[in-house]
Amino acid sequence: MIARPDANPIGRVVATELKPSTPHQFHFWTATETSIGIGAIVKVVDDRTVYAVVTEGFAYSDLATPLHDVVGAEGDPTRAADAPTARQQIRYWTAAVLRQTPEEPLQPVPLGQVFLADDADVAQALRMDGFLYSATPTAIPVGLYTSAGRDAPVYLDADFLLGPEAAHLNISGVSGLATKTSAVEFLLASIFAHFPAHKGRVAAVCFNVKGPDLCFLDQPGDLSDEDRHRYQRLGVPSTPFERVRLYAPLKADGVNLNTLRTHPDLVGDVEPLTWGLQEVVDYAEVLLNRDDIDAKADAFIDFLRDRVLGRTFDDGFGTTHRVQTFADLDRLFRSIFDGLEITAGGRSDTWRTHHIATMRKVRNRLLNISTRCKGLVTDDGPSSDLPWQEFEDRSVYVIDIANVDPLGQDLVFARVVSKLREQLERRELGVDAVVVFVDELNKYAPGDGPETYVKKMLLDISERGRYLGLVLFGAEQFRSQVHRRVVGNAGTQLFGRMDMDELATPGYQVLTPATKSKLATLPIGELMVRHPHFTQPIFVRFPKPPVLRGRDGVERFPPAADVPFEDAVVRQLVRLDRRVRPNQVKDLIADREQDDVRRALAAVRRTRPDDVLAYFRKLLGARVAAASGVPREHHAVPPLNPISDEPY
Amino acid sequence: MTWWQALIAAGAVPGRGGKGDEPEGADHADLVEGTELQAHPVGPAQIPAAVSFLNGIERWSVVAYDGVTQVVSAVVAAAVRRRDKHGVPHTTAERSRAFAIAPLESMSPALRAILEQSGADVEPMDGALAGQPARYLEQVESTVRRVRAHLERELAEACIDKLGAAEWLVLDGLLSRSPAVARHPRALGVIKSHGAQFLEGRGLERALTLPAGYRTSVFAVRGGHTRTEVYSWYLRLWPWEGNDLFYGLLRIEARAHPDTVARASELSGWLFAERAPLATPAARWDRLLYPLHHVEEYLKALAPRDIRSQRASRLPRTGT
Repeated sequence: MIARPDANPIGRVVATELKPSTPHQFHFWTATETSIGIGAIVKVVDDRTVYAVVTEGFAYSDLATPLHDVVGAEGDPTRAADAPTARQQIRYWTAAVLRQTPEEPLQPVPLGQVFLADDADVAQALRMDGFLYSATPTAIPVGLYTSAGRDAPVYLDADFLLGPEAAHLNISGVSGLATKTSAVEFLLASIFAHFPAHKGRVAAVCFNVKGPDLCFLDQPGDLSDEDRHRYQRLGVPSTPFERVRLYAPLKADGVNLNTLRTHPDLVGDVEPLTWGLQEVVDYAEVLLNRDDIDAKADAFIDFLRDRVLGRTFDDGFGTTHRVQTFADLDRLFRSIFDGLEITAGGRSDTWRTHHIATMRKVRNRLLNISTRCKGLVTDDGPSSDLPWQEFEDRSVYVIDIANVDPLGQDLVFARVVSKLREQLERRELGVDAVVVFVDELNKYAPGDGPETYVKKMLLDISERGRYLGLVLFGAEQFRSQVHRRVVGNAGTQLFGRMDMDELATPGYQVLTPATKSKLATLPIGELMVRHPHFTQPIFVRFPKPPVLRGRDGVERFPPAADVPFEDAVVRQLVRLDRRVRPNQVKDLIADREQDDVRRALAAVRRTRPDDVLAYFRKLLGARVAAASGVPREHHAVPPLNPISDEPY
Repeated sequence: MTWWQALIAAGAVPGRGGKGDEPEGADHADLVEGTELQAHPVGPAQIPAAVSFLNGIERWSVVAYDGVTQVVSAVVAAAVRRRDKHGVPHTTAERSRAFAIAPLESMSPALRAILEQSGADVEPMDGALAGQPARYLEQVESTVRRVRAHLERELAEACIDKLGAAEWLVLDGLLSRSPAVARHPRALGVIKSHGAQFLEGRGLERALTLPAGYRTSVFAVRGGHTRTEVYSWYLRLWPWEGNDLFYGLLRIEARAHPDTVARASELSGWLFAERAPLATPAARWDRLLYPLHHVEEYLKALAPRDIRSQRASRLPRTGT
């Protein structure tokens, strides 16, 4: 005896020889006035229960040919509406099966009555019961199923979202609707609220690659009552992230932050992100792509890394070097080139088995970075970095590289992800899983184009990250143009409003025309979700993120103009120690070389002493009058013309 | 130029058609509107807010042979569907009857006993016809039609008892079969078959060459197979030129009352408006009002599937 639902049926399954029911698809009709629509979840109750999602809809009348309507209206469309009797018409729907109970034997859908799915049905249909009601639930709310007037939470399985099962998430959608960023922000909030304790600690690293998108995750946004209701329904707090740490490189002046979060009320929370020579050389591959690098250059870089950097090194021409900065490295190169020219009389073109052309090429590429990414890459040695061994649970680490040179962006991305991977492998990161959010995958992991280090790295995360707890949340406008292994490895896929041209590409052939039409017109806040437990795509609505959107953030907290060097130094020292008096600092750095001040400041940032001003004073040394007329050696690496006469 | 093209060129009206309705006996008609049958333009469409439509269907099929004696299974059904304010019809009443037609006295005792003991509703037939299968089947058809007409009359009588204060009943066929219905002030019969001829001479010509959107003068119909006097008139829905004389031609029956004459143009305007939407794909869509077609389709959808249409192919049907 099959228990019949209490609710009234909204339709009935029909099957003909031409359009039969199958185990995976069936057709049903409803009244003309119905709440059913594309994406609605329905239930067929007969000798078995079948859950399905509506994928296509048809309406037609008993009109044999359109010509008959023309004849009936005597060719006048205005008269067509005057017909006293409405033609018999049908609302006919196609539904794709989500689940059958019993699951075996798998049989065609019976010709039963069709009911709207309630909350419990939605959980059954999407196979959420397995991870929602288990002893160790792993359910992460992704949104509300709202078709047909329902309001049922839809959950993702944390094992399949964050590993160790499928892992990774990819979100596609047209630009400008804020859907992709908003969805990820909401989902991170949901993960932080629902990540199961037995799975350990989790954090997120977000690369802000455009504008102020992710700069205000710690600030509350405006939420409507409807949004708050949705948060309540989903069991996610409607508050901004509690622990947000924002990192941004410095500008070329070495003291002002290169971010849009420079409002005086907020800039104090932004940590400078600066790297020195050692960090850059470790990721030289990022800077030296396969088009212009070879085994010889690789070997020379390895030589530098193993034998030169941070060591006392004799160049063979009578000079001893200790290379710790780009300036030191430049001195070494000049010494070698001069040595070959002068000491060897220009007769030798090799040094320590390395050809001079190879050395010139490596020099150009390495030193060029300190020019192109000035502010991120410092000449001065000390670096300011993420807390690689102290990641905190439920924290978001935002790295703002929106205004950094593309080469610098690649470097930041490569180094951060590599370090995350390294620390996770050692279990020394401080958390067990890290979500890495990367927007603009069209740019970083395109389906075609050169094999860049960043693309290889994204592929590596996609294919092997889940074993480590390194999870990629990627976003892009055109999924079809992202490397297929990057999107293919994403266990969970979200789709916002899509461009029709994109929907015409082969990757979307599995979707019905109606589903494509719905995707092409999705409102903000609605997504189509594909998840390993869902046998068909499901549409959900998610609330506006509980944080200040980037655009709103810069309106509420307008970025401050760059401050003079002295004020910027004061600001940074005051942030470290509120007892520091601006006038004391200004007096201290008056007439000092800016490079000296920057170095001292970097050291203070790194050391974080108890008495900031005293330590800063000590680093600067005794005040000496500037020697007029004697130019100081310029430590900055001179810019090199990338199109030079050199063969490389 | 062919000879008929020459005729048309000389003033004949082009036509197209073949054998029409089966001729029936001529009925007597008296003109009650004017002194000579005239063509009148229909009035403006004033469609009543509430209208019910009654129609019926019949199905029969030989299902068994006792020697040459044919045993028939038949079903007749009729329904009333009321049109709501959105123009959508809803069923308010329906009746059906499934029955057997068999010449019991011609059947073998054993088979007759089985049929009688089955509890089936049996409509007896004259056993004398059993030995003449073709004539027998004509009689079967006639019997089924009679049963259907009876069912429709019963339903119409039941319906008018419940008809709303301003509600009309439009039924497919003769109004005059039931005295109660024929006398009702808001009942109309719509006749599509024109085998029975009421007019002659100039009046007949005017009736059969009515332009679209015109009606004839009202005449009283009595005698023949009708039992109750009614007023009647012809109404042309679609131009007949290029088709046949009966194309788009309806005969309307209403109660025999001076008010009918007074309202004939108004009622014609309403019925003329009912020609849209077209009752396609029905073969006689030119004379079938869509709501009546709708009732027929409703009944067809409910009819038993095991009684096939007589002209259906006997090959297995597939959709592929």
